Amino acid sequence: MAAPNKQATVYIVDLGSTMGECNSGRVETDLDFGMKYIWDKIATTMAANLKGGNLGVIGLRTDETNNPLDVDGYENLSVLRPLGNMEMGHLTSLQTKITPSGTDAGDAISAIVLAIHMITEFTTLKSGKPGSYARKIVLLTDGQGMIEDEGMEQIATKINECGINLVVIGIDFDDNEFGFKEEDKSSLKQRNEGVLRRLTELCENGIVGTAAEAIANLAIPDIKPTRPWSTYKGRLTLGDPQKYETTAMYIDVERYFRAHIAKPVSAKSFVTKIPMESTQSSNTINGDIDMTDAPANGDDFTVVRSSRTYRVNDASAPGGRRDIALEELARGYEYGRTTVHISDSDENVTNFETTQSFSIIGFIPNDKFERYLNMGESRVTIAQPINDKARMAFSSLVHALFELESYAVARIVEKDGKAPQIILLAPSIEPDLESLIDVPLPFAEDLRVYRFPPLDRVITASGSTLKKHRYLPDDDLVGAMSDYVDSMNLSTAGTDEEGQPAEYMNVEETFTPIIHRINQAIRQRAIFPNDPIAPASPILTKWSQPPEDLASQSAHKLEKLIAAANVQKVPPKVKGTRGRREVLKPLSGLDVEALLNREKREKISPNNTIPEFKQMLASPADDNVVYDAAKQIANIIRMHITNSTGNAKYEEVKADMKVFREFMIEFELPEIWNDFIRDFKKRVAKGDLGGDRRAFWNSLRWINLGLIDKEALEISDVTEKEANEFHSLDSDLPTRSRGH
Amino acid sequence: MADSKEPWKGEEEEEEEELDETNYIAQKDAVLFAIDVSESMLAPPPPSDDKKAEKDSPTTAAIKCAYQIMQQRIISNPKDMIGVLLFGTEQSKFQDEDENSRGGLQYPHCYLLSDLNIPAAEDVKTLRGVVQQDEEFKDLLVPTKEPVSMSNMLFCANQIFTTRTPNFGSRRLFIITDKDDPHASDKNARSQAQVRAKDLYDLGVVIELFPISHPDHEFGRSKFYDDIIYRDPAAGEDLDVGPSNFKSSGSDGISLLSNLISDINSKQVAKRALFSNLPFEIGKDFTISVKGYNLLQKQERARKGYVYLDGETKQYVEGETAKFTEDSVRQVEKIEIKKAYKFGGSQVLFTEEEMKQLKTFGSPVLRIIGFKPQSMLPFWAAIKKSTFIYPSEEHYIGSTRVFSALWQKLTKDKKMGVAWYIARSNAAPVLVAILPSEERASDTTKVPIIPAGLWLYQLPFLDDKRDLTPQQKPLVAPDVLIDEMRKVVQQLQLPKAIYDPSKYPNPSLQWHYKILQALALDEELPDQPEDKTVPKFRQIDKRAGEYINKWGEILDKEFREYQKEHYGGIDGTKLKRARVDSEEPPKKKVKPAHSGQTLDGMSVSELKNVVGTKGLSKFTMQELKDLLSAKGLDAKGKKADLVERVEQWIEDN
Repeated sequence: MAAPNKQATVYIVDLGSTMGECNSGRVETDLDFGMKYIWDKIATTMAANLKGGNLGVIGLRTDETNNPLDVDGYENLSVLRPLGNMEMGHLTSLQTKITPSGTDAGDAISAIVLAIHMITEFTTLKSGKPGSYARKIVLLTDGQGMIEDEGMEQIATKINECGINLVVIGIDFDDNEFGFKEEDKSSLKQRNEGVLRRLTELCENGIVGTAAEAIANLAIPDIKPTRPWSTYKGRLTLGDPQKYETTAMYIDVERYFRAHIAKPVSAKSFVTKIPMESTQSSNTINGDIDMTDAPANGDDFTVVRSSRTYRVNDASAPGGRRDIALEELARGYEYGRTTVHISDSDENVTNFETTQSFSIIGFIPNDKFERYLNMGESRVTIAQPINDKARMAFSSLVHALFELESYAVARIVEKDGKAPQIILLAPSIEPDLESLIDVPLPFAEDLRVYRFPPLDRVITASGSTLKKHRYLPDDDLVGAMSDYVDSMNLSTAGTDEEGQPAEYMNVEETFTPIIHRINQAIRQRAIFPNDPIAPASPILTKWSQPPEDLASQSAHKLEKLIAAANVQKVPPKVKGTRGRREVLKPLSGLDVEALLNREKREKISPNNTIPEFKQMLASPADDNVVYDAAKQIANIIRMHITNSTGNAKYEEVKADMKVFREFMIEFELPEIWNDFIRDFKKRVAKGDLGGDRRAFWNSLRWINLGLIDKEALEISDVTEKEANEFHSLDSDLPTRSRGH
Repeated sequence: MADSKEPWKGEEEEEEEELDETNYIAQKDAVLFAIDVSESMLAPPPPSDDKKAEKDSPTTAAIKCAYQIMQQRIISNPKDMIGVLLFGTEQSKFQDEDENSRGGLQYPHCYLLSDLNIPAAEDVKTLRGVVQQDEEFKDLLVPTKEPVSMSNMLFCANQIFTTRTPNFGSRRLFIITDKDDPHASDKNARSQAQVRAKDLYDLGVVIELFPISHPDHEFGRSKFYDDIIYRDPAAGEDLDVGPSNFKSSGSDGISLLSNLISDINSKQVAKRALFSNLPFEIGKDFTISVKGYNLLQKQERARKGYVYLDGETKQYVEGETAKFTEDSVRQVEKIEIKKAYKFGGSQVLFTEEEMKQLKTFGSPVLRIIGFKPQSMLPFWAAIKKSTFIYPSEEHYIGSTRVFSALWQKLTKDKKMGVAWYIARSNAAPVLVAILPSEERASDTTKVPIIPAGLWLYQLPFLDDKRDLTPQQKPLVAPDVLIDEMRKVVQQLQLPKAIYDPSKYPNPSLQWHYKILQALALDEELPDQPEDKTVPKFRQIDKRAGEYINKWGEILDKEFREYQKEHYGGIDGTKLKRARVDSEEPPKKKVKPAHSGQTLDGMSVSELKNVVGTKGLSKFTMQELKDLLSAKGLDAKGKKADLVERVEQWIEDN
């Protein structure tokens, strides 16, 4: 049966004066220590944001008595928070109430009875029947109060009747398994530990734990429970049972999720509320919950919603575009740059019609499948549970595949109208489940063919094959790698429950770091809003490094490998490699430079700007050549912009400018570019370049075509800030004199 | 696939999703085909008796190839540009000019069949017209009598790239020709071509040569083309895959066309890395660098969008998102937005730096934790497609040989690496298995499909695992039945005992684009979708029908016996001889005769009555449990146990 998704949990917190003491070498009070556990659990429930997450809190050994069971024996118990959904405001007000009292009176078992009462009241339906809840009582105590142990059997029976889990978290309770024993334990505490242990033993679902262990276990992430998710219910066929009645088969099956990527909780977008009137405090708008002073948890925020707007090209509208209402638009697609309208009547024709089906295409031996071809998440198929004949038939298929070490390839349409998928089914036989596990396979279109040189031989440009080359490992390296890989064997590096060698890093031991890191931080921030966020718990980063002992054992193998490999780090490139351009030659090694020189290209032609500019600067005789080239390209850029009809030439000019800027950085002559771009900006502002070119100017910002600043080239005298401000046309237009 | 979600609804769940690879492949790519039109390129291949032998001349094959690739790219890379330039033609045509332009022709004997652009339906139609030899293109494939200047063609290409694709990340010129030495006797023309080729190189255009040999003439690259082709700087590796060469022989069964297509296919998309120079830490203080590639990419239909029909031309309309506050409908600037988590009816807030800190687990790295046999990778442990990695010498000299040694070891011993992997800065860390792949080439074209290298196969965390709680012990089939099923399985192996993706185009995707093409060209809609994924039923029947039938008979027999054994009272012969299982849907369970009365509401005598009529088992588990708990009895266990316990209680009372 699926676990009920509603819970009713009552926390009983011992607030007796002894809880204010610091024990066992801790610097925090026993209460603060134990509350780490309780706060974390409360926060976990709250973070789930579920309606069914009902919490209640009882104070034990409180100065006051404040509870509905107004009879003898229930003194010094206070309901600090009745069962129900807890909100941020409740949490903060609760926090103020969790402080040690001035009394030692109050009975823990009475508190449990009170909790039972609260839970049954809360979870009994109007019909008088118990509702479907997960019921739980958690008692946090230091065991220093008086506990009346009479009538424990009846209480335990009641707990069992109601289906309540009882968890007792004892501060410095002895625990052999965890390995904790408190020295000089008072006889009272000793007795109380015994009483509480007996009570939990009488309960079907009862447990006592020492607080230290419970807190340590908080680091072990809670996995969010999931429900089985069915993707297909119907027939698995082999052949066409409709056409070939006696020579085709089908089995009734069900298919479920087997793996599904869990995502971290997502943050929502908010903005700070702007008060309706500037004088009004924003707090008063939403004042029904007790507000907290903590700036981090605000109700001063309002949710951000988004909406879509649509614009069409319209030459007559300002800016060439105008808004259009969604109603004026039809549906369609793009085919290349052609717009295709699909009318409602065409809709049916355009859909690829499919009917729900699951049919085997054929079989392959399992060593012929490459695991990396898997396209996504796995699913699991089982025979329809109530159908014994299907179960028998399905079992024969699973066993046959298993015995033949084969996989089945099948086509599945999960629902009518959905696109077909091809999946690979592998048999899985476990003592309690026989199934076919499947993964999606790629279609022809999904596989991109890129060509890579082989790794075991080198093919030269002329087409001959080499077996020895600096790109290929020699025997030494192959041997050293083999030894190293063998020495870093994880298949026996772990230990199982019996302490025997076992696989290291089993899936069961790995937790999605990002999910639990965020969950942990949210809980922490909610409870202790002013604390800085804690580092990720070690359990989340455990797998970021090789196991230490294994690594140290194979250290000498690694040393040998490093020596055999002789890998050299390439020093980082220095900016401004003036004059050190590599001369590039075609495959034949022909000296094109010489040819170019003979051609005597001195004037850069406007229709071959980039190549000729680059060629001029390939090996300039002196800086004058650079100045000349820069002057020419600057002229061409201005000319193109001036002559551009609308934005026709914009992209081309940007390409020219990009090259221009790059080369000036390379030649460490930032001022040439900076002078040019300052001048260019001035002309744009004045409208000197054949009309309104502000749109062009604004677009330069996004492709980083502004001033060359110190970030880009150290010798530049332009600061980053200055470069940033420079992009704005309104900013200090007349060029600022440089150099101060 | 067909995403009918209204766009504004999709926005609500908008969150800081993990950056998709699509952001990385969104770089624009442009390819211009330059196809040689000459006597020899137009000559059909030598006649052959082989029926499959091709009849296409090299030029026709090349245009067909461009036609097919254009259609493919509309599907696979809808934002990329493609163009087709014929050279050596009698006719000439450039962007805005043709024979009648004043001032003479800029590029004689260059015919720009389809300008470099995102293809439109018209471009597809034009190419098809040429392929089908439509009337209007009849005179097009006529070679000029004059000598053809290569420098002229190269400069023509230069101008096309300069004006059409100035800021493209990748620009390539595909030259398809059979003339290995176009300017054998004219040294001057040759030098000019070399200079124009250098211009193209400096412009950032990469030339790819697709040389065609004839039976009596082997194409010699060194004669001319090695002087004009440079290494592709973007390709990165210093290793070479070896040159391609194509034969127009007509007889060896492999058509020039399919050869060209598969080779161009492997080069048509510029090989762009998903990430470059990722540190690959094989051991402590032992790092090499690798690049990552996305060789698997689920190809999806584009989302259905909005079109505007009332303008002069149809327009595809992109929506823009604006953000508003919920309370005052005030438009919000991006920098105002804060991220917060919902918590107990309120929000928990982190500063921007804290958010960053939360998501940071270190700088990008692929760090080996150790090695395991590949058999320790459970089949179910599959959550995502894998990323291909290949060594790069850019940051660590010697990366390639180390990578190769590791690859050899993993391949030989069927081992896998296990690694901690942070793909990009601020990417969430994951665990991956590092699996080796061996080279695999297509059987027909010999073009490699799977390269040699390593794959990063993402491992599931416990959070990603979904368990299915078994409800009953498996019903294990008897051996006779399994034996018969084995025969069926053995009969139905796929060809070559492999799954070859190239044999299975995505039927839904293909159909969608076929329809779009027909609508775009205003043509009749095709009526029957082709679907190669449908199993070959006739063959299955022929090869395994007999065994399936036998299996069915055994199943019937074994199942009758099983039933006798387990539900003794039922006579097996009464069962209808259903083929394999329930031919009729299983009957709805008839609600028992408890007429709405609940168990724990009944008196003891009423309960006795129920027991007498064996009606107890008709109550639900919950009802039984309720009764038991009401009587203070153990309410746990299987239904049979509960029934027994209730009966016991009734007897005792």
